[in-house]
Amino acid sequence: MRALTSVARKELVSLGRERLPLVMLVVFVVMASLSGLIGWLTNTTVSSVWLKTVQAGLTRAPDPFANVSPLYYTRNSVIYLILIGALMAIVVGVTSALRDRKARAVDLVLSRPVSPRSYVMGKVTGIGLWLGAVLAFVAGITWGSVSVITQHALGVGDSARIGGFFLLAWVLLLEFAVLGLLAGVYSTRETTALLVPISLWSVVVFVLPQIGTAATPVSLLNPVPAVAVAGGGFDTLNNVLGPVSVTEQFKTASGLITANPDATGSLAASLLAVGLPLVVGLVVLASTRRERLREALRD
Amino acid sequence: MTSTVTMMRKEFLDLRRNRFLLVVLGFVLVAVVISVVVSASAFRVTLDEYDAYLAALQASGNTTVPPQPQLYPLQMLRGSIEYVEILGALFAIIMGYGAIAREKQRGTLDLIFSRPVGRYAFAAGKVAALAVAWLVAVAVIFGSVTAAVAVVGHAPLPGVDVDRILISALAAWVYLVAWSALAVGLASSTKRLSTALIIALVAWLTVVLIIPQIGDTMDPDNQVPGGLFKSLQIAKPDEQAVLANFAGFDAARNALEISSVTKHFERFSFAVLGIKDTFNQQPVATVVAATSANVIALGAASIAAVSFAVRTTTRTRLLRRTP
Repeated sequence: MRALTSVARKELVSLGRERLPLVMLVVFVVMASLSGLIGWLTNTTVSSVWLKTVQAGLTRAPDPFANVSPLYYTRNSVIYLILIGALMAIVVGVTSALRDRKARAVDLVLSRPVSPRSYVMGKVTGIGLWLGAVLAFVAGITWGSVSVITQHALGVGDSARIGGFFLLAWVLLLEFAVLGLLAGVYSTRETTALLVPISLWSVVVFVLPQIGTAATPVSLLNPVPAVAVAGGGFDTLNNVLGPVSVTEQFKTASGLITANPDATGSLAASLLAVGLPLVVGLVVLASTRRERLREALRD
Repeated sequence: MTSTVTMMRKEFLDLRRNRFLLVVLGFVLVAVVISVVVSASAFRVTLDEYDAYLAALQASGNTTVPPQPQLYPLQMLRGSIEYVEILGALFAIIMGYGAIAREKQRGTLDLIFSRPVGRYAFAAGKVAALAVAWLVAVAVIFGSVTAAVAVVGHAPLPGVDVDRILISALAAWVYLVAWSALAVGLASSTKRLSTALIIALVAWLTVVLIIPQIGDTMDPDNQVPGGLFKSLQIAKPDEQAVLANFAGFDAARNALEISSVTKHFERFSFAVLGIKDTFNQQPVATVVAATSANVIALGAASIAAVSFAVRTTTRTRLLRRTP
């Protein structure tokens, strides 16, 4: 236990010194913070467009955003978590594994009474704490910006929903960080270590949902999950690929948690789909052998 | 000139030996072909729905025949173009970065520059090799998607459509070379390789994903599933009249979008291929003339990136020792 804590503490110190994760962290925090403002600006414009059409006698339809939850302003955060947050987590995981392999620090650490399992789990704990602190900060900014936009402090219910959403985001980001760690541990080259998880990320974010729903890649950058085309085998494909399209499941769960009226589906199923890969990743990582951890990089 | 060609041949050899890059390019190829297959299947579903609707109408004694869904084969390339703009750009960065990082990490720069290499020969050789490599990759990618459209989509392509594909392939090549050249320039000009990778990845995130995503988010029509104006049941002329009241907002949104070279590539390719409805079935010359601003911006970005790579990839900078 002491070994795990020591590795976790060292990981936190190293993460504070690394520039790549820090730069991505700044981009992520800025974009996540701006998402509320962008959401508010767009909602206001849509409501103004609706008002103009009503005044011109062109429609009798109700204002599309008349009774939406205040949390609707945060819906773009989902996309920034999937795009920037997940990539940041991958970079954090990869650099964490490569840092020790390049400096041969792993040899030194494992020469002490530290088991490979304590070593990798210490790293996961350190990264998990770092991601937790980042997301807690972003959650605070989100809560504050929505409170400013709606001109009143969010109630307990909405605050709990924001908390639940960022807790789920933590699971998602930790999942990608574990993927990065695995790539960093198992790759023989630095470039491969970075490219493999980024390629897998693009498969999960774009390719799998496209096969299952026929949505185009850019339309998958929508905060609400794509709806499958009915018929033509897409229903079956979506049933098979839907559960492994982790980011689409994250969109579903986030939409349901933040009471997005466009979100449909089962919260329990989507939570399971988001959480299960983390468990699998942790099991694989925990079973990593000592020789693998100590293997030198070729580059 | 000889040293440029030598550098180019060496870079080719390195690229050919790097099996992982081939796997990555194979991945892009699979993604773009899958995209065409998915689009063709989705169109078939639309056609089946139409047939079922028509049969139901006829069974109820209604003689009205609704217009049949039109297949415009090149519109099946939408997803493929989007993959090139997102994944292609990312892999172009990795290729450009790798071209310099490899030399720095192997310590081969001292050896190379101990030979009589011209001032710009190293850079020109690297960029030229990457440009030719991308030419081959783009030819394979666009050749494959053309075959996929013809075979899977059951859509015979007339000569003019092949011309449109060739023009968009040329635009894709220019776009990808720009990203590789930018990465070469960054990897050469920064003291630490990791700094180059940071800047390149942040640039990719910002230009390829964040700016276009904000632009799409700010489009009022994208805010309601199925489209705002469709949900309000408003005709196109009325829609334009209403939006005229929001010219300032739209100008700000457009200004944001045109700051991204990705958006210029996308707008031009979508126009040439007829993916954007307003340009569908328009003569190529008309489309190119209407999108000349996008062509100029894409070309200027590529020239700027190549110039940056050539000017910064010099002996002095490359042999500079890290502190």
